[in-house]
Amino acid sequence: MRTKLSLIFTILMVSSMILAACGEATTPPPAEVEPPAEATQPPAEATQPPAEATQPPAEEPPAEPVSIMVWHMEQPPYRVERFQELIDEFNAANPGIVVKQEPQNWGEIYTKAPAAFSAGNAPELLFAIPDFTPIMREAGAVQPVEDFVNEMDAAHKFVPSAVAPYNYDGHIWAVPMWNMVHSLWYRKSVFEAAEITPPTTWDEWKAAVETLNTEGQYGIGLPANKQLYTDQTTYDFMINAGAEEIYNSDGTLRFDNPQTVAAYDFYNQLYQFSPPDSPNWMWGEAEACFASRTCAMVLQFTVITTYETQAEGDAADLGVVAIPHSADVAQSGTIAYPNAVMLLTEDPAKQDAAYEFMRFLLQPENYGRFLNMEPGLYLPVTDDGGMADSYWNDPVVVKYKSQIETMLENSKNGMLFGFTNGNTFPSIAQISAQNMLAQVLQKVVIDKMPPADAVKEGQEMMEAAIQ
Amino acid sequence: MRRFWRSLVLFISVFGLLFVVIAPFYWIFSSSVKRNQEIIARIPTFFPKSFTIQHYQNLLASSDFPKYLMNSTIVALLTMIFTVVITVMAAYAIYRLKFPGHKFLQRVILVTYAFPTILLLIPIYMMLSATTPKLIDTPWALVIVNVTFAAPFAVWMLQAFFKSIPLELEEAAALDGAGRIQTMIKVFLPLAAPGIASIAIYAFIFSWTEYMYASVLIISDKYRTLPVGLAGIIGQYQVDWGLLLAGATITTLPVLILFSIVGRSFVQGLTAGAVK
Repeated sequence: MRTKLSLIFTILMVSSMILAACGEATTPPPAEVEPPAEATQPPAEATQPPAEATQPPAEEPPAEPVSIMVWHMEQPPYRVERFQELIDEFNAANPGIVVKQEPQNWGEIYTKAPAAFSAGNAPELLFAIPDFTPIMREAGAVQPVEDFVNEMDAAHKFVPSAVAPYNYDGHIWAVPMWNMVHSLWYRKSVFEAAEITPPTTWDEWKAAVETLNTEGQYGIGLPANKQLYTDQTTYDFMINAGAEEIYNSDGTLRFDNPQTVAAYDFYNQLYQFSPPDSPNWMWGEAEACFASRTCAMVLQFTVITTYETQAEGDAADLGVVAIPHSADVAQSGTIAYPNAVMLLTEDPAKQDAAYEFMRFLLQPENYGRFLNMEPGLYLPVTDDGGMADSYWNDPVVVKYKSQIETMLENSKNGMLFGFTNGNTFPSIAQISAQNMLAQVLQKVVIDKMPPADAVKEGQEMMEAAIQ
Repeated sequence: MRRFWRSLVLFISVFGLLFVVIAPFYWIFSSSVKRNQEIIARIPTFFPKSFTIQHYQNLLASSDFPKYLMNSTIVALLTMIFTVVITVMAAYAIYRLKFPGHKFLQRVILVTYAFPTILLLIPIYMMLSATTPKLIDTPWALVIVNVTFAAPFAVWMLQAFFKSIPLELEEAAALDGAGRIQTMIKVFLPLAAPGIASIAIYAFIFSWTEYMYASVLIISDKYRTLPVGLAGIIGQYQVDWGLLLAGATITTLPVLILFSIVGRSFVQGLTAGAVK
């Protein structure tokens, strides 16, 4: 018996040691990555400080570097790698600061970040989208950053619509980093073969979808999942029906209105030409449908990476236009997600270090490389970033330059529900967290409820959610 | 003739069941060696027309998948070991010993299993953050949580096994001078080996597939487990389907290997006590 007990105990001990050893062995901290040789050699004049500065008082120990942890949601390996390249350059150029990254997942961050803050494990910098910021603010985690945003605005000129969703209650709560907007993607050759031109109005759009809905090809791919992608495409239709305002200016809801009903009704009409599996779609499935030529058109932030790596990659054939609008609306609009970074530390030294890192990222020579961790997906939110060589010289951006210019043009009419026309309603976080726009759409396209009834129920759901 | 029809029905049923079970695995594996264009093709191909191991190369060379695999293996093995040790002792006490409240414990053990685990996410996060040293963002956090959630059902699974072992064997051992622990280890556990194997594999798979707690309790990439790591690798807006399928194939291998070793015992464990 003693032998067996000893054996069990030994197994447990060995397992513990393996666990501890593997934890250490598999984790080279990002900051320890050897920086490029040239980055480690500051200019000669910087290495020759004044004589008095070279003799610190003997009793003062060298200051500990300020550590900054960045949480972002850019998990694919090549994005993490690009992030790390920039972090390494920054760390090498700023010996008093050590920046580290920990990629997180959008799926869990809404739970994880508030819990981490409450438990004292929060990072100093956390990337966000507009409806995530109110949640962190409610937890008391977010520091106002208007002074820094104003400084960066003076230096680089922010696109105003990128700052607006973070500007409320007298403060700016995050520093804009990039924008993402939907466009309508198609193949020029498919349109030419069907002798149609890119649609600009709903009537033209419906006619095009009907024409392109042929044997082996669906006219359009639209999602109907209870998920963020469906929220986004639904809001595209609402904007282009003139229903972009979900709130009245006094904060009451105005979701139930004729324009919203028209948007859901038209979505339902086009949805009839969408693949039967689209109720389960997220972004990836829509892109695959387009890349495989199963869908003639999709609404998407970008299809460039997938088109380049998983489809034919013929830049001349890839078409992108603004999302068509109804006859009652003057021009096309699109959903826009200005992504930003929140400051979660009250420590002045860490705040200064975090600002320094953000200054570094927004420098035009770095900013383009930062955005091109996913070429074509992330659009610049500063004027000089939009002109930066570092942005336009990326090989993929060079190849798809005309498409990206169109996306940038479309971004000028970008909007986000709950953050429109200079108003910001933080309670939108309760609505978007439950994907209520998508829920209402499911009532229409899956449960076959008349759009007017579904929108009426949707308004009641939203009112209950924000109470 | 009647025997022929009976055999035919049996054959079709078994083949149908096998197809339903194996087809998804075949689909994942066969697609993982197709080129990207064929994976997302409008008309799917049952047999690959193209062949590439590029997805596996990308997965193993250009991502942290091997690290996630190692983390998952360690956490799953530790979960399995601790679950077996704890549940065997607990089940023996609850189902073989007479003490005040043992009937109540027998009933309440499954209630804890039925409790929605999502409700405990934030409280457990806070508890593990409050320990010294902090257990949050360590593999131990996952081991503790996995054992906590796997143990109640494992104890219940052992019930049928333990009840099927005659009490007279223990009495005979006692007459021969064996103590309680000696009886348990030398007489009881060998007879309950299939049941123990079944809870071991149950605990391993429970840990291997656990996503929710692994995604929240682990902050650093260095301790991330397979389900969470793989979700990050494949991306959100641009899904690399080849990478996803290669990852899914490799992820299922350890479970298949474990099942091939102790699968028979697992089935015995599930069916023990079903027929009196």
